[in-house]
Amino acid sequence: MSFPSSKKITRILGAELDKLVTLPSIWLTLTGTFILNLLLAAAFTSVGLQGAAGTQSILNIGLASMRYLQAGFIILGILATCSEYNGGQIRTTLTTIPWRGVQLSTKHLALEIITIPAAFIMAASGVLYTFTMMRDTAVVIEIGTMIKTLLGATGYLTCTTLLSAAIGALFRRTTPALVVLLGYYFVVSPLTRDFPPSIRKCFPDTAGYYMYMPPSTDEINFLTPMQGAGISMLWTLICITVAIVLFRKRDA
Amino acid sequence: MRAFNAELSKLFSLPGIWLAFLIGVFAPAVIAALDSMAQKEEIIAGVSTRLSEVGYIGLGLGVQGVIILGVLAVSSEYLAEGNETGGGQQITTSLTVVSSRIHFLLAKAGAVTVISILLSVVAIMTTVSATHLVLGEYTPAFEWPKLLGAVCYWAFTALLAFGITVLTKHGMIPLAVLIINTSFVSFSFLLSKVTKLALYLPDRAGFEMFMFLSNRFLTPFTGGLVMFAWVVVLFIAAAIVFHRRDVAS
Repeated sequence: MSFPSSKKITRILGAELDKLVTLPSIWLTLTGTFILNLLLAAAFTSVGLQGAAGTQSILNIGLASMRYLQAGFIILGILATCSEYNGGQIRTTLTTIPWRGVQLSTKHLALEIITIPAAFIMAASGVLYTFTMMRDTAVVIEIGTMIKTLLGATGYLTCTTLLSAAIGALFRRTTPALVVLLGYYFVVSPLTRDFPPSIRKCFPDTAGYYMYMPPSTDEINFLTPMQGAGISMLWTLICITVAIVLFRKRDA
Repeated sequence: MRAFNAELSKLFSLPGIWLAFLIGVFAPAVIAALDSMAQKEEIIAGVSTRLSEVGYIGLGLGVQGVIILGVLAVSSEYLAEGNETGGGQQITTSLTVVSSRIHFLLAKAGAVTVISILLSVVAIMTTVSATHLVLGEYTPAFEWPKLLGAVCYWAFTALLAFGITVLTKHGMIPLAVLIINTSFVSFSFLLSKVTKLALYLPDRAGFEMFMFLSNRFLTPFTGGLVMFAWVVVLFIAAAIVFHRRDVAS
């Protein structure tokens, strides 16, 4: 084709965005996650209200549902890449976009464009709910910290989504990818609590945890939000690279 | 009986079933071994507060294998083939061959139950030997009623996953919800802090069958009954929905 390459990228990005936006399960997942997040925030808030007044921070309680929230974003990432393999859509895609590396990286980019606002809205809504419910009892936090934490949470959720999309592209089937990722995030990772923190802090989810966790000073093995973001992004980039390399090698 | 055999054969030839077996056999053993390792010093010193539940925690958290089994058994029937191969679903073929929907559902549930019981027996063996390997002579004795409770817990969990998937027709949601719920950050545990009623949720009630919880709420037997009641209710709902629903929709 005789398009200049910058226009080519824009068109591919447009096509990938179009495909994601028109996927009904993406919207189902996002809506479901949003509702679930609010319900969980309500549950955590009511647990928090039962606790001692004035000791808990709004951010801690509002972001307590993050552990569950990430499941929705894992599903989102897997859906984005695995939906191509459900019914041979991938062959149509590769006929129209015969550059595999470009196609998969643009897909991740398109996914990022959808994920960032969604993640921010969800993280913010949880905190906002807690804030309105606990204004009188909890420790007040300044707006700067809150925005920084919310940005960290958004970054963490986006990294998780992109990582899941890469894993989904590796497995090409929804079920194994889902089981592996959920198994890692919800079973394996909590089990490794007893590992030395110096090893543990380099895991993708623990590193990402520091991106939004309120800073505590008494910990030696503590990562600043920037370091956490760095490690988390490194994991995501490694996974995406492996996915792209394999995608180029494998038979579609 | 022939429908049951057919369901068994379909289940064993499922592409994702190896994952279920792998996780079902090894996950409980690995979890139990990790937990024993973490507690070894306390146990040897005799100050462990959780001595009695060592090993069982693996069986409690390692049910992912049977969850995958129960979900896949149904979701594979509804998985649409690609446009290139006609876009058909296996369920239409299955119901052409076994035209009674109730028989079909019962045969499938039977196959899932049998496989999950076998899987749980294997898992108990691997878990007990893993605990013995780590703790040696300090291993607490495994009691038969508790182990039977664990087998029931596994079978009921598989049937719950099965019933939910019949209702949703899609594997992703039940898989995600159930796996998260069996993990360390379970929804029901959170809810049980909000309201006491949450202790009647199937997994909390099922836990009472074989875990020594510090704040015991139900006896093991009533725990089992409560979980069984959940399974029965869900199965009846699934049967009614499945009986009335248009397969093509």
